[in-house]
Amino acid sequence: MSGRAFGLTFLSRYGFLVVFLGFFIFFATQSDAFLNTSNLVNILEGNTILLVAALGMTLVVASGGIDLSIGIAIDFGGWLAIVAMMDHDVAWPLAIVVGVIVGAAVGAFNSFLIVWLGVSPFLATLGTFFIGGSIQQIYTSGGGQVPFRQMPTGYQELATGETWGIPNEILIGAVVLFVFYVLLERSIYGKRIHAIGLQPSAAAVAGINVRAYLWMTFVVASATASVGGIISTAGLRQFTPLAGFSYLLDAIAAVFIGASMHPQQRPNVGGTLVGVLFLGMVSNGLNLMGLDFNFRDALEGLVLVGAIALAVSQRRLPGRVGSPA
Amino acid sequence: MATTADSNSNALVMSDISKAFPGVQALDNANLVVADREIHGLVGENGAGKSTIIKVLAGIYEADHGSVWVANEQLEQLTPQSVHERGVRFIHQELSLVPYFNVTESVFMAQEKQGVFGLATRKMRRQAEDFLANILGAEIDGRTLIRDLTVAQQKLVQIARALIDGQARLVVFDEPTAVLGAADINTLFGNIRELRNSGISIVYVSHYLSEITEICNRVTVFRNGVDVDTIHLGEEQVNGAGNVVSGAANGSVRQAEIIKLMVGREITDMYPESQATPANTVLEVDGLSDGIRFVDASFSVRAGEIVGLTGIIGSGREALVDSIYGQRRVSKGTLAVAGKPIKLRSPAQAVSAGLVLVPRDRRNDGLVLDMSVADNVNVATLEMVSSKLGWHRRQQAAQRADQLVEQLDVRPRRSDTIVRFLSGGNQQKVVLARWLTTDSKVFVLDQPTTGVDVGARSEIYALVAQLAAGGAGVLMSSNDLAEVLGICDRVLVMVRGRIVAERETSGLALDELVALTTGSALEGVEGVAS
Repeated sequence: MSGRAFGLTFLSRYGFLVVFLGFFIFFATQSDAFLNTSNLVNILEGNTILLVAALGMTLVVASGGIDLSIGIAIDFGGWLAIVAMMDHDVAWPLAIVVGVIVGAAVGAFNSFLIVWLGVSPFLATLGTFFIGGSIQQIYTSGGGQVPFRQMPTGYQELATGETWGIPNEILIGAVVLFVFYVLLERSIYGKRIHAIGLQPSAAAVAGINVRAYLWMTFVVASATASVGGIISTAGLRQFTPLAGFSYLLDAIAAVFIGASMHPQQRPNVGGTLVGVLFLGMVSNGLNLMGLDFNFRDALEGLVLVGAIALAVSQRRLPGRVGSPA
Repeated sequence: MATTADSNSNALVMSDISKAFPGVQALDNANLVVADREIHGLVGENGAGKSTIIKVLAGIYEADHGSVWVANEQLEQLTPQSVHERGVRFIHQELSLVPYFNVTESVFMAQEKQGVFGLATRKMRRQAEDFLANILGAEIDGRTLIRDLTVAQQKLVQIARALIDGQARLVVFDEPTAVLGAADINTLFGNIRELRNSGISIVYVSHYLSEITEICNRVTVFRNGVDVDTIHLGEEQVNGAGNVVSGAANGSVRQAEIIKLMVGREITDMYPESQATPANTVLEVDGLSDGIRFVDASFSVRAGEIVGLTGIIGSGREALVDSIYGQRRVSKGTLAVAGKPIKLRSPAQAVSAGLVLVPRDRRNDGLVLDMSVADNVNVATLEMVSSKLGWHRRQQAAQRADQLVEQLDVRPRRSDTIVRFLSGGNQQKVVLARWLTTDSKVFVLDQPTTGVDVGARSEIYALVAQLAAGGAGVLMSSNDLAEVLGICDRVLVMVRGRIVAERETSGLALDELVALTTGSALEGVEGVAS
């Protein structure tokens, strides 16, 4: 391997981590508050919802699809959990179950469109996104908030409480992260999902039930995202219609920033975690420095495009068999 | 050797053309001379070099060596543009038409005519309709969508597109009848003769020898990258009614001559001895039809038996294999594995019933190219290397893969290699390895040795024989007839969507099998596509 080739390989594999560290050091030197434990915990806590949504997205992207309706699953999960408690006196643990089931139902609708009707994931989930957004507006008189001040403490503590001194949000994020790691990286189901994402025809010929796997992928992704919505309503003690949308693009960015670090540019759970933390850190740092928050999106865009361009350029190195002509 | 390039009655002279691909000498000083106003046939087995020389002419491949004259003018640099400018046109086997374009748009695609106000739509339509009616004898409305035409009409549109500019002097037809039924073939032949009579020279590439002897004036036979001979077929015989008589005695004599030239290859002891002691039936296919590519396929495979399935392009063989594995819908018929009927809906169902496939398109369907050898070996049988709940036991998976890599001598002997980087033969071993330890009852092997070098080939044959000896039934779909004769116990021959013959391979001569597949032994077989 030539020096240049080595340099590029190194850059694409670890270049992003260098950027990550660079920003970390930059913020640490520019703002006294940044390195405080409480601030670092804030970053973790504040990004649990994004993490959970991005993990669901990781699963979908690994199977070769995309889910533009992840925000709808977030919204519906939180909204109907609240409605169940408010209007039907459902106990809060059961309300969580209701929220997750509703999220799964959003995913099932996607699966129906994609697997049964053969609509491409991009268009199917775009349709769900429009339909879901409209439903929220219809039933909230054009997008009015749904407050729930008398929320059961148990539910509220999902977002605000602590267990063994650790904020519950972080614990929930860690549990979901662990489950996804086992599912996608260490179980045979994950292997199959990766095979489907890489080459669906080969996966089918190998006897994998591709339709069933795709079906489950979208259901699990949406159900997971709805957990994010539940945390969100618990923290705010209200449901804000269409709030889930703000997580969609960040989740996609986090997944692909993570994938760019993988030797074969595959979406992976570890990479997604790094991507989410990066986005969270940059928002937090810019905020503390009192800089224009609007810089964040530009930075996110630059880092995303840069990381992917590097990953692709490494594939194109001369002498590698199978490099695109 | 070098041919009469100075002759001024030749439409095309390709002389001493050589072309090598890594590991293969595809063309070795090959010649092709097409006279003015003749229909010149080009035949040869797969890999004989006919498509390579056509691609050299088309400017797709650059020859390592040799020269090309078109209409007595030497072409220094062949590019698709320069060849087109000299009036050389190609009618490819695939139709490559846009279904939602109409006839006019398709004919003038990429050669649209401009009027004062943008596209000269009406003028183009009139020209297209006139051309189709006058030259090709077909009344087709220029506004009809391609998808509403029959396949035969689509073929005519494709021809019109190549010839509409009136500059064509040499037209190459590549397997033009593969998609057509018997009646349409006669019409097409009429059109080709018309073109010839109007002064255009024709190169006619086909596997169907009966067509070659019927329509061609001369035929050049390719074998192993060389033109072994060019035969005069003389004038066509025309009966009183003005129809060309096919299958004349003269024709079949000529076909036998061509077959001998085409084959001329020795079959060594590449193939293992047959040890068939066929037991109970493991695969029973009864009356299977898809309504398009094949009809009424019925046959059975017994345990311990290797059954060949052969047929040239367009015979429906590939579609039949796909349907057996649940990848293609069927309209009629049943299939049973080990006596149990299975529904042909998905490969997953076939696999769980004990029927597995080694697909013909190894790189698209056989392997996940960006996964490791170990992952590819295990991908169909992940339950074997996991806990009950699905925890992937990586070490166990690697061990199993290492064992199989060792057993099949996959090189390099590292199960963590990404399969994309393996050679064709080693990739095929990986696909085979996947199913080896699954106790499957029926192995369907589709073109298992395509792109596999000779060494790996014989290893694959030995493996197939082992599978059969171990009590599995093997259905081997292949267009390599020597291979079919070498390894199979029985062979099924498909022509135009039907299984037209079933023979024991012992005592079956290669030229006899060639005759069966090319339909020359079975004149008048009714096709599906008609």
